[in-house]
Amino acid sequence: MSLQVGIVGGGPWGLALARAAARTGSKVSMWTRRDTDGGRLIRVTTEYAEIAESRLLILAVPSLVARSVARSLGDHLDGAHLVVHGIRGLGQTSDGPESTHEIETIGDILREETPVRRIGALGGPVQADELHTGTASALVVGSHYPEVTAAVTKALSGPWLRVYSTHDLRGLEWASAMVGCMSIGVGFAKAAGAGPGLLAALISRAVHDAGRIAVVAGAEEATMYGLGGYGDLLASIALDQRPEVVVGRALAQGKTIDQAVDEAKLRVEAIDLIPRVCAFAKSHGVQAPAFEGLSRMLEGHRGEEILGKFFQG
Amino acid sequence: MKSSVPPIFGFNDAREDIVRDVVDRVVASTTDPLLALNDAAYHEIKRLETSRRPKDQEQLAEWQRLARTLGRMTNGERVEHLRELANEYGLDVAGNFDPRVYKASTRILPSVVTALLAPRTFASKLRHPKELLSLDSLADKVKVEGSIERVRRLSETGALVFVPTHLSNMDSIVFGYALERAGLPPATYGAGKNLFTNPILSFFMHNLGAYRVDRRLRHALYKDVLKTYSCVLLERGYHSLFFPGGTRSRSGGIERRLKLGLVGSAIEAYARSVRAGRERPVYFIPSTINYLITLEAETLIRDYLSETGKSRFIIEDDESSRLSRVASFARKLLGMDGAVVIRFGEPIDCFGNRVDEEGHSLDRRGRRVEMSSYVKDPNGDVVLDAARDAEYTREVGEEICKAYVRETVIMSTHVVAAAALARLRQASPRPDLFTVMRQRDGLLIPRDELAADVRALKDRLLEKEKRGEVVCGDFVRSASGGDLLEQALRAFAGYHTNPVLESRREGVSVQDPMLLFYYQNRLASHGLAWDVLGGGHSRPTALGAAAPSLGGSR
Repeated sequence: MSLQVGIVGGGPWGLALARAAARTGSKVSMWTRRDTDGGRLIRVTTEYAEIAESRLLILAVPSLVARSVARSLGDHLDGAHLVVHGIRGLGQTSDGPESTHEIETIGDILREETPVRRIGALGGPVQADELHTGTASALVVGSHYPEVTAAVTKALSGPWLRVYSTHDLRGLEWASAMVGCMSIGVGFAKAAGAGPGLLAALISRAVHDAGRIAVVAGAEEATMYGLGGYGDLLASIALDQRPEVVVGRALAQGKTIDQAVDEAKLRVEAIDLIPRVCAFAKSHGVQAPAFEGLSRMLEGHRGEEILGKFFQG
Repeated sequence: MKSSVPPIFGFNDAREDIVRDVVDRVVASTTDPLLALNDAAYHEIKRLETSRRPKDQEQLAEWQRLARTLGRMTNGERVEHLRELANEYGLDVAGNFDPRVYKASTRILPSVVTALLAPRTFASKLRHPKELLSLDSLADKVKVEGSIERVRRLSETGALVFVPTHLSNMDSIVFGYALERAGLPPATYGAGKNLFTNPILSFFMHNLGAYRVDRRLRHALYKDVLKTYSCVLLERGYHSLFFPGGTRSRSGGIERRLKLGLVGSAIEAYARSVRAGRERPVYFIPSTINYLITLEAETLIRDYLSETGKSRFIIEDDESSRLSRVASFARKLLGMDGAVVIRFGEPIDCFGNRVDEEGHSLDRRGRRVEMSSYVKDPNGDVVLDAARDAEYTREVGEEICKAYVRETVIMSTHVVAAAALARLRQASPRPDLFTVMRQRDGLLIPRDELAADVRALKDRLLEKEKRGEVVCGDFVRSASGGDLLEQALRAFAGYHTNPVLESRREGVSVQDPMLLFYYQNRLASHGLAWDVLGGGHSRPTALGAAAPSLGGSR
C-alpha cells in the first residue's frame, strides 16, 4: 500500500521534498498559501483539514511561523499522525532555572502545539536541488519512534536517496541548526582567504564547540560528529551557492547583513540564531570561542581581527 | 450511585482465570523455551547454591536435574515445563483478596493503629464501641486531599494506576487507608515477598490486595510472569498501586528517576483492550505521601550517605521491623494534627496527557484527543509496539516527576530543616556535604534568627504555591515562623534517637545534621533547599564534583 505523504509549506524546500516523495510512488499532497503548481503528481491544497488526511506529514516552513502553523494544523491531527519537520532552525529562547537561557527545538514546538507524539526531524547534507532533480544524496531522519524513521524511509528513500536514521532527535535538530551557523563561517573564511589548513582547523574547532553546546542542550555529542552534523558541514565547503555560504562570503566582502541576505535570496535561519546560541552557551558555562567568532562576523568585524581573537583565546 | 461492583471484590473467583490467562500469554510469547528455561535454571542454581536450608537444597537438585535434561527434551516437553513453571509462579504471585477480611481489616485498622499509638485513648474508646469502629478518629491526623472527586469518577470507567512517592514501609498501609477514606475501591499492589515476613505489615498487606513479588528471583521468566500479571489485572479493570521510585527514597527527596516497567504494562493493557474492541482507559494518578516525620528516616539517610560516601557511615537495622519503633512513631504521629497528608494529584492518561472531567485525553493546548489514536498506526490499525510504548513510558515518567514536585505537601519539619541546615552550612569551614555533615558540635542558632529564616522561606513557599508549583501544609500556610519552629521541634523530639534540633535557653542547637539534611531534601526539587541531589541525578557519583552547583540554597 502506497504511503500518503503531506508536505506542509510550499517553498523551494517543501517542493523539493514533495518531488522526492512523489518519486518513490507515494501519494503526495502539499499545503501552501502560495500559488504553486504541484504538477501532475502533487495535489496542492490550502486547507489544513485536507492535508491532515495524510498520516505522515512533513513540515517545511520557516521556523518563525512553525508555532502558528503547528497550532492550526494541530486542530486536525490526532495521536496516530506521524509528523517530521525539515526546518534548519530552533525555536524561541526562554529563561530556565537558575537564570540560564533555554532554546526550544521545533520538535518541542510540535509537541506543545499538536496532540502528536510520533515526531521527528530531517537533517543531513542533502540539498533542495538534489531532491528536486533526483541527484544521488543522503539525508538523516531523527526520531525516538522507530515507526517514524520507517515511514520517512519508505516515503523518501530510493536508489537516488539514502535515508539514515538516529534516535537522537534533539541532537539532529541542534546539529542541523548549528551547521547552518557554521556554514556562514565557511563562506566567510573562504572569501577572506583562509587556506585549506586554516579552514580545516576552524571547522574542527567549531564542531567541537557545537558538540559541547549540544550536550548541555540535552543531545548526544556523537550526533554532532555524524552525518547530520560534520557530514552536513562538509557539504558546505563545496557548495558555493548554499544560502549560508553566500551570506558568509558577502559579509567577508564587507557587505551589511541586509545586503548579504539579499544576495542569498533564501531565508537564512542562522543569522538570528548565532547570537542566541552564544548566549545559550555562556549562560550554561560552555566555552564556545568559534561561535563567538561567528558572532563577530555578523557584527561586521574583519577576518584578521576575528582570527586574532580566536587564536589568542 | 455506582451500579457496578469493583472487580477486586470478585478476585477470588476470577483468580484461576487470571492465572490461566497469564500462563497462556507467557507461554505464547516465549519464542525460545530452551533459552527461557536455561536462563531460569542458571539464575536459580546460582541463587540456591549459596543457601544451606534443606528446602532450598531440594529445589537446587530439581533445577540441576532440569538443566541437565533440557538439551535432550523435545520442544513439546520444554513448553510443558515452561507452562508448569509459569503456573507455579503465577499462583505464588496471585495471593489472596478476601473481601470480608478487607472490610474487617479496614474497619479495625484505625483502632489497631490507635491502640498502638495511644493506649489510653483506646481504653476509653472501648467503652464506646461505635466510636472505635469509625474511621474518623484518624481523620484529623491523616489528611486525604487532592483530586478525590475526579479520581472517584474515573475509577468507574477506567482502570486506575496509583503512583505515589515512596518514603516508608508504612506507605502501602497508609495509602490503602487513604483509598478507603476517599471512597475508592482497594488497589492491587505488588509487595516484596520480604514484607510479608514482617509481622506488622503482612497482616494488612494480605488483605489490602497485595500480590507477592519475590525479589530474589532474577530470571526473565519470572519477570515476564509479573509483568503479564499486572497487565492482565489492568485489562480486567483492577486498579493498581505501585511505587515508581522502585524503593523508598533514601535521601528523603522527591523521586527524580523512576522505574517504569509497570507503566509499560499499563500501556500494553490499554492497547490490548482497544484491540479486543472493549476499550478500557488506563489512568495514572500521581500522588504524594507526606510525613511530618518519617519512620525510617535515620536508617535511610545513613544508607544514602554511606553509598555516596563509600562506607563512611554504618548502616543500621530498619525501624519498620521493630514493633517498639513503629509504636513510638505512631504515637508521635497521632499526637499531631495533619502529620500525614496523602494527596491525589491530577489524573493523566497512560500516554502522559492530562484528562478532562469525563476522562477524555487533552493535548497541551487543551484539545480533546482520541485516546486510542496513540496505539494506532497510520492505517488506523491497533498495534502493540514495545519500542513505541517505551517512548510513551518515558513521557509518562516525566509527567509523574513534574506532578510530584507540584503535589508535594510541605510541612514544618521540612521548612525548619532547610533553614537550620542553611545556617549550618554557612558556619561550616567548607560547604561540601561531608564537611557539613561532620559538624557535630551543636551549632547554636538564636531562636529569633531561625524563626525569621523560616518565615522568609515560608513566604517563598507561599509564592510558589500561588503559582501551583508546590502545596503548603495547612499549618505552614497559617502559622508564624516561630510557631513553625515550635511544631518542628516538637515533632523531632521524642521519636528520633537524636532530637535533630534541641531547644535551649540560648537558642536552637543542631543535634543531627544528617536528619536535617534528610528533611530539607523534600524541598530540594523546588529550589528552596540545598540541592545536593541536583540536576536529575538521583545519586551524585562524587560529591566534591557537585559542590560548584550547590547554589540552590540561595
